[in-house]
Amino acid sequence: MPVSRRGATAVRALALAAMAVELVLAVGAWIYYGRLGAVGAPGAWLVELNWPWIAPLGIRLHLAMDGLSLLMVLLTAFLGLSSVVVSWREITQRVGHFHLHLMLVLAGVVGVFLAVDLFAFYFFWELMLIPMYFLIDLWGHEDRHRAAVKFFLFTQFGGLAMLLGILALYFAHASQTGQYSFDLADLARTNLAPAAAMLMMLGFFLGFAVKLPAFGLHPWLPAAHTQAPTAGSVILAGLLLKTGAYGLLRFAVPLFPEAARQFAPVAMALGVAGILYGAVLAFAQSDLKRLVAYTSISHLGFVLLGVYSFNVLALQGAVMQMLCHGLSTGALFIIAGLLQDRLGTREMGRMGGLWAVAPKMGAAAMVFAMASLGLPGLGNFIGEFLVLLGAFKVNVALTAVATAGLVAATIYSLWLIQRVFFGPSAEPPAMEDLRPHESLVLLAMVAVLLWLGLFPQAVLETSRAAMEYVAGTQVTATAEIPQLSTPGARIKGATPKFMEWTPTLSESTGEILQLRMLGVRIEGATPKFMESIPTKSESTGEILQLGVPRARIEGATPKFMESTPTKSESTEEIPQLSALKAGIEGAPRESRELTPRSEEGSRFRLQLTSGTRLMSFDGCLPVPLSAPWRGRFDHVSRPEFPDVPVARTAGVRPVCGLARPEFPDVPVVCELARPEFPDVMALAVPKGGRR
Amino acid sequence: MTLEQIRALLPLIILVGAAVAIMLGLAVRRNHAFTVAVAVGSLAAAILSLALGPTVATPITPLLRLDGFSVFFSGLILAASLFVAVLSHGYWNRRRTVISEEFYILLLLAAAGSVTLTMAVHFASFFLGLEILSGSLYAMIAYERDRQAAVEAGIKYLVLAGGSSAVLLFGMALVYARTGTLDMAAAAAKLAGALDVLTLAGVAMILVGIGFKLALAPFHLWAADVYEGAPAPTAAYAATVSKGAIFALLVRLAAAMDIQSNPPFQATLAAAAVITMFAGNLLALRQSNLKRLLAYSSIAHMGYLLVAFLAAGTLGRTAVGFYLAAYIITTLGVFAVMIVLSGTERDADRLEDYIGLSRAHPLLAAVFAGMLLSLAGLPLTAGFVGKFYLLAAGVGAHLWVLVAALVISSTISLFYYLRFIAAAYAQPAAPPALPAAVAMPRLARLAIAVLVILLLWLGVYPAAVIRAIQEAVAIGR
Amino acid sequence: MPGLLADGVELWPLALYFVAVVVLAGGILGLSYVLGERHRERATGMPYESGMIPTGSARVRMPVEFYLVALFFVIFDLEAVFIFGWAISARQLGWAGYVEVVIFIAVLVSALVYLWRQGALDWGTARRAGADRDRSGRRHGDE
Repeated sequence: MPVSRRGATAVRALALAAMAVELVLAVGAWIYYGRLGAVGAPGAWLVELNWPWIAPLGIRLHLAMDGLSLLMVLLTAFLGLSSVVVSWREITQRVGHFHLHLMLVLAGVVGVFLAVDLFAFYFFWELMLIPMYFLIDLWGHEDRHRAAVKFFLFTQFGGLAMLLGILALYFAHASQTGQYSFDLADLARTNLAPAAAMLMMLGFFLGFAVKLPAFGLHPWLPAAHTQAPTAGSVILAGLLLKTGAYGLLRFAVPLFPEAARQFAPVAMALGVAGILYGAVLAFAQSDLKRLVAYTSISHLGFVLLGVYSFNVLALQGAVMQMLCHGLSTGALFIIAGLLQDRLGTREMGRMGGLWAVAPKMGAAAMVFAMASLGLPGLGNFIGEFLVLLGAFKVNVALTAVATAGLVAATIYSLWLIQRVFFGPSAEPPAMEDLRPHESLVLLAMVAVLLWLGLFPQAVLETSRAAMEYVAGTQVTATAEIPQLSTPGARIKGATPKFMEWTPTLSESTGEILQLRMLGVRIEGATPKFMESIPTKSESTGEILQLGVPRARIEGATPKFMESTPTKSESTEEIPQLSALKAGIEGAPRESRELTPRSEEGSRFRLQLTSGTRLMSFDGCLPVPLSAPWRGRFDHVSRPEFPDVPVARTAGVRPVCGLARPEFPDVPVVCELARPEFPDVMALAVPKGGRR
Repeated sequence: MTLEQIRALLPLIILVGAAVAIMLGLAVRRNHAFTVAVAVGSLAAAILSLALGPTVATPITPLLRLDGFSVFFSGLILAASLFVAVLSHGYWNRRRTVISEEFYILLLLAAAGSVTLTMAVHFASFFLGLEILSGSLYAMIAYERDRQAAVEAGIKYLVLAGGSSAVLLFGMALVYARTGTLDMAAAAAKLAGALDVLTLAGVAMILVGIGFKLALAPFHLWAADVYEGAPAPTAAYAATVSKGAIFALLVRLAAAMDIQSNPPFQATLAAAAVITMFAGNLLALRQSNLKRLLAYSSIAHMGYLLVAFLAAGTLGRTAVGFYLAAYIITTLGVFAVMIVLSGTERDADRLEDYIGLSRAHPLLAAVFAGMLLSLAGLPLTAGFVGKFYLLAAGVGAHLWVLVAALVISSTISLFYYLRFIAAAYAQPAAPPALPAAVAMPRLARLAIAVLVILLLWLGVYPAAVIRAIQEAVAIGR
Repeated sequence: MPGLLADGVELWPLALYFVAVVVLAGGILGLSYVLGERHRERATGMPYESGMIPTGSARVRMPVEFYLVALFFVIFDLEAVFIFGWAISARQLGWAGYVEVVIFIAVLVSALVYLWRQGALDWGTARRAGADRDRSGRRHGDE
């Protein structure tokens, strides 16, 4: 459809306005929440929207924003705006159509960054594909069809693998709890056999690694980046690749902490392989866009390395790297696009000496090339440095190898500048320098990169809580964690891994552990245990009745309790107790696991912090939580006893206690619970979730 | 027969009555528009009578049974028939060389046969419905008698469908020989899960017969030739209504006889599903004729459906119901585009016909692309939720091999759907092979608009539909 | 074979019957192959026209009405079977049966009316073609 010039301009202006509004909103949100001092992490979202969507399948339109998503949305808005501007002159065919697809991709990307319902996430994930395919296929360069199909097939296959992971997790969760849900928070509580967790994690990883792209899954990338129109390349490199990294941070790692931990060496090796491979192949390119495309593989290798280093430092570095790579590579693609527009070629052999005619462009390119090679003062340096610093703690050898990537980056970046802007020129270049709107975009990008490089703290603060969450879910080896449990737990076994939390209750001998919140009923055990729910006391000589009913364990001497969804396979020696799982030695297998199939609204998740680690407990703890967690506390009492406050229902003489002298670094804070029970204290997490 | 039963039977009565009425009308005076109006009106009335019909499960003689399940699938079938009837109007108007009115009689009869299939709880009514459907289809396929391809397709379908009916009958006879009853539930009760060689053979032959009609591999060879030869509305009909009705019957039969939990059948059907998915998708890769492509893709889609079918249970059945609805809407959408583009001489079924479609008909091109994307299972479309549901059912039943086959083969399928979409949006090098179609009839436009709305509705907010299907498919034994 | 069916249905007669059919058919074909006369002469492959030497092509156009009428006869004749079936037990079936058979006959009659008006019962081609053209203004597909 031939669109009139005026119509085309109107379309462009509309798209521009939309992206500007998006950017203003995102920046506004950042400033607003920044001033409030809210940090934002999973479980304590800055803002969330939770609407029913496809109720029969337990699908909700659940969007939520924490520091990480906020930053990603900011990046999206910024790059989206830039792509509209740089397409202003480049796209002349089917302008309306082009912007339709552009906006659709961006909508999909924003959706991906915000969705915390896995169906919604998959929905947006797939939504990004089609318009991107069209952007490449219809407005791309000479070999666009093959590039588009390649892009589509790779990502679609990865997406379907991820879908299988999602569905497997969904059903695993449903079979344990009887509750069908795609919600991240629900699914994160699923107890998985290690093998199953590993398979599902691989499904997720495959989906994200294709997008990232990790080494080995990258063949679509050079073609797609090279053939796409400028805006397409900017969005591909700047945003679509980030969705892969984001997916790892948001889903693949937190959902399967143990499996991710096991897989970490492989992933890190892939990351390092990507760093080197991308860098080496970048040397070999004579096509400008292709060169930049290969540098993307290299830079995203750092992100992969950082994500799987599992410490806050490296994770923060990965986030920084994601932002800065989006900007610097996006900018390089813009410059490549401008050059192609003016010279009609992307061959660096046919460029050279352009500095003379286009000094502004040359200067901009110089800055971004410097950013790409990791010059201190620009954001990329911070990202790569933090990643390497964090990774160094985990794996010295791989880190050392990865550092070689930085050297390579220096070489190819300088080489790029040399060949394009200096160097001898084959023909006398006659070329227009940057136009005002182009300068504006590039200048803005330079400014942001500089700001990120000089004052990274603002960004790092924003993403910190989210990254700590990611790092904190990496608790695996129980041996090194002081086990803090819900009250009434007594852990047998030597070592100072013992904590007991119920001064009043514990009458336990060395043999019997008390179960509390759990609702465990133990038959045929010696009654060495005090049961303290006045209303429900049924403790005969033989039956112990504890806390919230739900589970029963028959015919066993309760020797220890196993706890928590995520950890403790080493139950033989270090018994742990928490709300979720109780294990009793000698009991038949099927009675060993207690699934908290409690009624809707009577379960929640408690997160306790020790050091920088977060540990999660699920169950029916009667704990009104304090400040940062307030939003998550969605139940008051149990349905059976509507008028009994929870703390009492559970029959717990309040749990109190400051951190034990033996474990000064395990913070547990008490609060007064309810006015009616002045002596009932509740367990709470200290403000800020950290020590 | 009580009044309640007559009320339950009303859709069938309306359809058959309308067929006779059209026939008598033609004896008096030929008028295409009037005929279409009667056909469409009667289909709408049949849908209405379903909606207003008995709300409790009503057995109508031992042969038929109107329950939530048959209401849902009959509704689907009748609505699809209605769309085909509406679209046929413009199509036959352009084909001035052919008498068009009888087509609607056949269409109504085929719809009656299909509705019978969805209500059948007895082998006799099963066979009766199937034969009414197939008998009408033979004629609908060979409707353009002076086109050799059409006649060839008709004969091909006649011979193969006849053969498969014979196999089916033999299977029924074997089951009857063992159980002494033709009632599905009673036969299943007599067999009580334990199948000996004779009944095993019987049920297997019934499944072969059904497999033929659904064009499951390895019985899929006829599909492409028949679709290609048939006029576009007939092809649309065969791809949607006839397959939907037979699949509905298969689901009911399986629920009665518990076929999925029988290891030999499970294994065989699983193998058939895998072969069907791959055969359909791989064969579709090389097609540059849209009808042949849709034939192969419909084969593949039947393979996908088998995954949910094998998953069984309420989840599996809901998935089948939803996917069938999505598939029918989508396939009708693609055919609708083809039908409105078809000229006076031939159908717009070649790849060349679609090159540059976005220039000549931007909206139509968008619809076309949307429908193909739905077939490929991409978001915002019904196909996305449908495929999601299928995979969910498969994963829920731990059918990992099948699910993996579905994933891989549907990735393959993207190739050929994208090819046509890319063609539609490509810049034409030469002037289009077909002259720009005559102005689209308003009715066809309306039909396409409704299909698009349905496509998006099912793709974006399908909660209500899913709930309705969940209720509908909760058939007991 | 007897083990095939558990509950007493004897299968061997069926098997014997099957074998007999195969033997008989095979025997007839085989015997005629062995015993049959074989010769190869000029007129061997020629159509047999009662001793006449055929002239002209066998592909003569001829009206298919005969075939059509035969088909109609078979159809309507078959329908008669149903009506006989009803007639035999008309009393037991009562008014419901009566209504049903009336509907049945009405449908048959409408089909007949339709065929008649389409000109299917007219012998010869001239009128039918004309009639069609008059009625619909369109040409019949096969003419």
